[in-house]
Amino acid sequence: MPDVRARYPELIRLGSTADDPPVIIGQACGACGRRSFPPDPYGCEACGAAVDRLTSTELAAVGVIHAVATVHRHHHPRPETPFTVATIVLDDGVTLKGVLTGDTSAVGVGSRVRGVTVPWDTDDDGTEVVDLRFETVGGEG
Amino acid sequence: MGRNLLAERPTYVVGIGLHRYQHKTDTTYVQLGLTAVRAALADAGITWPDVETAYTGTALLGMGASRIMLSRLGATGIPMAQVENASASGSTAVAQACLDVASGRTDVALALGVDKPRGGLPMAPSEAGISNLEGGTVVPFTHFALLASEYMAAHGVTAEQVAGVALKNHRNGARNPFAQRQQERSMEEIMADPISGSMSRLQCCPVGEGASAVIIASDEGIDRLGIDRSRAVRVLASATRSEGLYPPGVGIDAALTVETAQAAFDQAGVGPLDMDVLEVHDAFSIEELLYTEALGFCEPGQAAFLVESGHFDLGGRCAVSPSGGLLAMGHPIGPTGTGQVAEVTRQLRGEAGDRQQPGAHLGLTHMVGVGAVCVVHVLESPRG
Ligand SMILES: [Zn+2]
Repeated sequence: MPDVRARYPELIRLGSTADDPPVIIGQACGACGRRSFPPDPYGCEACGAAVDRLTSTELAAVGVIHAVATVHRHHHPRPETPFTVATIVLDDGVTLKGVLTGDTSAVGVGSRVRGVTVPWDTDDDGTEVVDLRFETVGGEG
Repeated sequence: MGRNLLAERPTYVVGIGLHRYQHKTDTTYVQLGLTAVRAALADAGITWPDVETAYTGTALLGMGASRIMLSRLGATGIPMAQVENASASGSTAVAQACLDVASGRTDVALALGVDKPRGGLPMAPSEAGISNLEGGTVVPFTHFALLASEYMAAHGVTAEQVAGVALKNHRNGARNPFAQRQQERSMEEIMADPISGSMSRLQCCPVGEGASAVIIASDEGIDRLGIDRSRAVRVLASATRSEGLYPPGVGIDAALTVETAQAAFDQAGVGPLDMDVLEVHDAFSIEELLYTEALGFCEPGQAAFLVESGHFDLGGRCAVSPSGGLLAMGHPIGPTGTGQVAEVTRQLRGEAGDRQQPGAHLGLTHMVGVGAVCVVHVLESPRG
């Protein structure tokens, strides 16, 4: 089995097995307690604490769709249009935007989603590069 | 607490001038800018040596744009500088010119907005080294398509109701000789050609080239130069703010607009319902709904229904985007904010011809820039 890495390894920790879900890497402020995403190399926007007070924290890649849009025009060949993006409020309280995968025909505001990885590219040394997508969780929403 | 300079030293728009907004041509930015400044000087009835300070709002031209252009009106040696504040560059140039005059430093100041589209210009926020998961998939039209999705779901609004903003603004733009898009459109035309979510091509602003100029003066300047007081529009407020931290789920651009509008209304001593005419940052149709609500004209979720009922039409309770807004007049970046002030000035003078809002007495301009920043001005008709 080839090595696998995340397209954005600073933002995603892959599970140790294929069935193990990916985890999103956020940040927590040791001064004010704010949890945020993406990780910031400079300081805390809430209280102004310097970066040495910020620590990495893992956020479960599960949440609820807050807004959704299907994109018909894109300035890069990938992802191929149309694709669907969503604003997602993670159960851990952080809001982020992500691309959806799978059947998006029934996706709407309020749908529950979880993070999964999809093939993105292959490095020159044969390492498989995967990217985070969100898919709907059956039975809810 | 700082002083309210505009209340202490009355400050006026005394001249406006534009070069039409249009697709990129071979016309140099110098020619675009000079056309607008010459028109503004003629409108004010003054000459270039009467201008004591100049600010050029531009985001795309590169370093050092002002003097090579303005010296062709005569190299008078006045202070001049470029002002970059993303989409709010022109608005910020107006704010600087107002500050110069209201502070007493000068009696006559120029705010010029001029730009030409250019690809490949670095965007500072994407140079900050902060990565995100989106991998470039959420460009501005998709950011606003997501806000439209949220708005429609929260308030039971249809995609056609959101598109009603574009229907109105294309109708207004068809009456504006300076607009990039001067064609009235049917709802069917507006809904065609989807770009992202419910945002279609005609619900997204065109970014072309153009220029607009505003001359700001004090009472002393007006008297000394014999400027016509019956056409001088007073600036009651000039407010700028940058984005704060807002609770999860709160729309950033709208929350920032609420704060900036409050600062402006506090300076002006008036409220949103006193306004007769508004120029807002409608780069995408959904934005006009979010901002008219954030500016305090109606409750969240109501703007779509008010647009549908004609409340914000020319001749309605308050005309919104009488110029055609960014959607139809266009969004050449630097000129957009100065152009808004020019349009509201024209409306408050009663000189807007077949797009005149009847009896317009108070008006407001509003721009948001990437970052995010927000700039609001409140203007009053010469009738006082
Ligand atoms: Zn903090």
